[in-house]
Amino acid sequence: MDNLNIGRHISGQFNEDLERIINHVMHMGGLVEKQLTDALTSVCDADEELAKKVLSNDYQINNAEVSIDDECTRIIAKRQPAAGDLRLVMAIVKTITDLERIGDEAGKIANVTLESLSGEHKDLLSNLDNLGRHVLTFLQATLDAFTRMDFDAAVKVHKSDDKIDREYEALMRQLMTYMMEDPRSIPQIMSVIWSARALERIGDRCQNICEYIIYFVKGKVVRHTTPEDFESLS
Amino acid sequence: MISVTPKNLSEHNVKLDLNNLSPEQVALEIKNLDLYYGNKQALQNISMSIPKGQVTAFIGPSGCGKSTLLRCINRMNDLVDICKIKGEINLHGENIYDRHTDVAALRRKVGMVFQRPNPFPKSIYENVVYGLRITGENNRRVLDEAAEKALRSAALWNEVKDRLHESALGLSGGQQQRLVIARAIAIEPEVLLLDEPTSALDPISTLTIEELINDLKKQFTVVIVTHNMQQAARVSDQTAFMYMGDLIEYSDTNTLFTTPAKKKTEDYITGRYG
Repeated sequence: MDNLNIGRHISGQFNEDLERIINHVMHMGGLVEKQLTDALTSVCDADEELAKKVLSNDYQINNAEVSIDDECTRIIAKRQPAAGDLRLVMAIVKTITDLERIGDEAGKIANVTLESLSGEHKDLLSNLDNLGRHVLTFLQATLDAFTRMDFDAAVKVHKSDDKIDREYEALMRQLMTYMMEDPRSIPQIMSVIWSARALERIGDRCQNICEYIIYFVKGKVVRHTTPEDFESLS
Repeated sequence: MISVTPKNLSEHNVKLDLNNLSPEQVALEIKNLDLYYGNKQALQNISMSIPKGQVTAFIGPSGCGKSTLLRCINRMNDLVDICKIKGEINLHGENIYDRHTDVAALRRKVGMVFQRPNPFPKSIYENVVYGLRITGENNRRVLDEAAEKALRSAALWNEVKDRLHESALGLSGGQQQRLVIARAIAIEPEVLLLDEPTSALDPISTLTIEELINDLKKQFTVVIVTHNMQQAARVSDQTAFMYMGDLIEYSDTNTLFTTPAKKKTEDYITGRYG
């Protein structure tokens, strides 16, 4: 929490309110990370029970989003935060929206486990697992940058989304080749494509979170700009 | 349907470059102003340009010099014996601290409203036309018109039009403050100084005065000192943050309250220990 600097308000109650919200966001981040890990494990191990658990646990993330949103609304109404405090509350409101969507994407991945894939297509899943593990590392790095509100880490993580995009494109080419070779496999391959797409979207959402971190630390909106634009902020 | 693109949205936030205002945009220019109360320096080398037709707020903790600076603008500090001032304040390019300045004429151009409403123990009507009467205006028609115009501008006309000749002391605190504003604007000053104009008022009267300030800037340049930071954020176009006699940061209000450049400003507006 190096850059957060939330403990110095004259109002101790305000300090407590902000600390509580940040702890809730971190807890929510932990839940999302667990959901994604479980979803990927369920795909890799064909563990239907685990996949069902992922789907049934999504409500926890939804509840966390609603409750943090509510706390942020209360802070805005009661404290009228300004400057860094205001940027923090806005960054949190946006971050939890993206975290909730990442939770939904984890559910989509878990769904693939429940679609029975024939033995000859099992190797497709290993490619998905590779992409999945990279995305999971990406999510962990994002949450870590958020916890410390670390500008440099956010810029670094933001840039590394390109690797995920390239990996996703390579996987898509491979899957299309399979479909052309054996049109009967299209329904099964499509479900792998949806999962790959979900992983790629998680990468994009992590990138959004990095942009909110940059907004909080530097006070500059870097959405819809090129990485070169916000590297100059450091 | 109107399309709202980020470009359109950003056009609503036209920022003035406070360091490069053209002469037509400047109402007041403060240059290297130092002020001493005896041996104690209360203002240190203040330089800033206050734009015309806008609301500029001074904020800062008690004793930071914001009211002192405001009082310099119509030479109210002349009344303090131990006060010594160096530097310039230019109104239309003329230094108001020039030896030849007619202070009474200056105060006609730069009106002031204080923290506590201070109506004279006269009728509502006489309060409003007081400034005109002492400048020799006695034409009833002119005075009536000026009173109605000022009371309408101060958003008080509808409440008092049927009792203009009753005592002003019978009005509520919020009404009295608006009456005092009407009195200040009846002589059509160029600049209106407001020294914590709502600190003695209830929240609804405060909002009425804030709404009024927003209307007044169409006719006057408004400079307001306030302890209430949310009020500065709501009513002003520019905000100056002062601390211990120094002007720490002066920028457009949207920037100052979302991304202040100085740590002292950030600490103050977010309610942190300094």
